[in-house]
Amino acid sequence: MKEKMYIEYLFMLMTIGDMMGIPLLPPYYTLRLLPYMVPNIKGWKLRMLRERDFTDIVTG
Amino acid sequence: MPRSVGFKYLFEKRPELKIAIFAGKGGLGKTTSSAALSYKLSTMGKRVLCFSTDPQASLSDIFEKDLFGKGEIEISKNLYVLEIDADKRIKEYVDSIRQKIKDMYKIEEIPREVEDYIESAVAEPAMYESAVYDAMLDVVSQNKYDFYVFDMPPFGHGIRMVAMADILSKWVDKITEARRQAYEYEKVASRLKREKYTEREDQLLKELESIRDRIVSFSRLITDPKGTAFTMVLIPEKMAIVDTEKALKMFEELGLRMSGVVVNQVYPPAILEDPRAPEYLKKRVEAQKPFLREIYEKFEDLILAIIPMLRREPRGLEMIEAVAKELWESTITLDDLEAISKR
Repeated sequence: MKEKMYIEYLFMLMTIGDMMGIPLLPPYYTLRLLPYMVPNIKGWKLRMLRERDFTDIVTG
Repeated sequence: MPRSVGFKYLFEKRPELKIAIFAGKGGLGKTTSSAALSYKLSTMGKRVLCFSTDPQASLSDIFEKDLFGKGEIEISKNLYVLEIDADKRIKEYVDSIRQKIKDMYKIEEIPREVEDYIESAVAEPAMYESAVYDAMLDVVSQNKYDFYVFDMPPFGHGIRMVAMADILSKWVDKITEARRQAYEYEKVASRLKREKYTEREDQLLKELESIRDRIVSFSRLITDPKGTAFTMVLIPEKMAIVDTEKALKMFEELGLRMSGVVVNQVYPPAILEDPRAPEYLKKRVEAQKPFLREIYEKFEDLILAIIPMLRREPRGLEMIEAVAKELWESTITLDDLEAISKR
């Protein structure tokens, strides 16, 4: 189950990572992955934002 | 023996060349060089495609014909030009993505967050660039021509794609492996659920692999040491010299080799000896000197061709023919450049 999470996380990172300032794929191609990400997008965004808030507190 | 330059010598040294790429900032003569080389090769009996994406549609200007977004058009015997409308291509592509989402989830409207994402992706400058590269790959993979000449948009992101190709390949391998393992551990999960889940994952993985293949092919296309000549066009001005140096450094950092540079808009030094030449022209020749010296000192071994300043704008087949002659075998030699440097 952990692996599944890992894959999901990885995919999300690749697709919309650039929203968080870590682009990995050219945007032209990330759009091709987008349809598969639709169900995850909302929750993922929240999770990333939470994590970022956390690191902001630590580093800032 | 004067040290002559010209693409003739490049093609003698590298007979397997199939692609020439002209890069550099706008307004330096990329499109003119692309058109001239295409024309020259076509007169030698090669079937040539000249590819450009300029939103200002400069191939159309040069060939005095509206080519923008019109597909592959034959200009003269063996010479075809393709000036793609990248914005239109992006729009069609994005619409197909939207449709796919609607079909996949059987919905009428794209969810707000998703639409936001699409719109911000489209607005990125890198979007335009990667759409152009994708179109380049398309024409080359169709393999309909003997030779391809690419007039490239400013090339920042292209270099990144080369770096990306390697990283992405490794990622896709890792993901494939992780996925295979996950699948084995998952045997306890309900069969129906698993099937549905893995089917989508299969598609996703396939998509990812195909993206990797395209990025890797693009990277091969522009770095192929045998088949591709990657060249930059510059003029005797400070900014152009600085940009070329930067690009060379980027290439080096990635372990790539640039084939060389084309020096454009050079005033023939003979003007200085011509008593009939007007004073303002002589001043311009003098003004170019320090930059020509810098070019000679920094890029001597890389200079592929030297194109003299033309009296008129390069338009129409006749002018292109004149530029092609200089590009193929330049009247100004390396010795001339050296002489200028020492004066």
